[in-house]
Amino acid sequence: MTEDAWVPLALSSMIEVGTSAGAVVQGQEIVVWRDSSGVAHTWEDRCPHRGMKMSFGFVRGDHIACLYHGWEYDQAGQCRYIPAHPQLEVPKTICVKTWAVAEAAGMIWVALGAVPPPPAEAEVTALRSLYLDAPLAAVLAALPEGFGGTLAGQVPLVTLDTDLGTLRIGVQPIDARRTALHLTVAGPATPDTLLALATRSDAFRLSLETAGAAA
Amino acid sequence: MTAPILYNYDLDENCYRVRLVASCLGVALTLHGIDMYPGREHLGAAMRALNPAGRLPVLQDGDLLLTQTEAILMHLAEAHAPTTPLLPQDAATRARMMDWLAFCARDLGVAAQARTCAMLDAPGDAQALRASARACLRLMEDHMVKQGIRGCGFFAGPAATLADLALFPAFALSRDFNVDHDEFPALRLWARRVRRLPGFITMPGIPDYH
Repeated sequence: MTEDAWVPLALSSMIEVGTSAGAVVQGQEIVVWRDSSGVAHTWEDRCPHRGMKMSFGFVRGDHIACLYHGWEYDQAGQCRYIPAHPQLEVPKTICVKTWAVAEAAGMIWVALGAVPPPPAEAEVTALRSLYLDAPLAAVLAALPEGFGGTLAGQVPLVTLDTDLGTLRIGVQPIDARRTALHLTVAGPATPDTLLALATRSDAFRLSLETAGAAA
Repeated sequence: MTAPILYNYDLDENCYRVRLVASCLGVALTLHGIDMYPGREHLGAAMRALNPAGRLPVLQDGDLLLTQTEAILMHLAEAHAPTTPLLPQDAATRARMMDWLAFCARDLGVAAQARTCAMLDAPGDAQALRASARACLRLMEDHMVKQGIRGCGFFAGPAATLADLALFPAFALSRDFNVDHDEFPALRLWARRVRRLPGFITMPGIPDYH
């Protein structure tokens, strides 16, 4: 399902310039980071040196550096600087695996296989990312009744028409037991509406996970 | 005035809470090192005489002896930096701060236990403690999602209070008990704001960057 599709990893607004975060798609560990010019990157979350997660590291300008030994990588994933050997011209073979990235409709997307046409643009208001201890199928089955609304569309982007507006939901399958939903509202939304939706999302997670634990 | 004495262990997260708040308040502390691990000095007779519960931190400020983290934080602010913006004067904001300080003292204790169980051989059910600590971090995430919608960057309102500094270590150290930050985007942004507060300091396990 995700091999040749764009998969959302995060709400754009939650990855600020100069920050990084970890994300998992069907078991694949990914670092998503935003460089000083505002461009997002999605790479394998592993430093080639000692296997440390790059998402534990830090962004310096247009490079991301590993927390362990400070090895720095440029926007193409190529290692450019090794602090322990400052004079060394770093071999071209030291690089992090990179994947295609897209930013649209308020989310950051990764393509782990063949690169499809860019994801559709849309005017949205970001709500939140919701991390659920439930498999994808159970999440989708529970959304209409649990959140309240009519579900349409297909993974990785579904819509839910609710009494508080239309949610555009990016679906990130984490692994066999966990799913993330990146929740946005189509068009503008007032703070009161967003607060009501945020409260509803808390309740949805609780009911879903309670049902899962009882099953 | 002589500086308050903190009986301190660098890797203890509650001692870090005191050092962090003191630093952000601009209050100098005299640190008295206690070999908590592996020496178990906090459980010895000398420290039991100061705190029969056998726990750190302990703060000695003149005749005043304090053993509860949140009381120590309040005392440092009220006695040594009463005009600090970290201690809101408006009653509602102060009450919200106290609400989260109480959360820190009562609920979030499981995070410190999960960490000492994972790292320092403390007794406990590591899996259960980890699950409880994750549940606490989720409550914090849900709150900061709503604070973000309200245009507030911190737990008690638009400005940082003692509550933010008291809550920060549990999130910043959660990888020590194997809870990653992936699932907490609102807390990641908040932690970044905390890191930028004047006087912010780290402890071992919390990288010094940003």
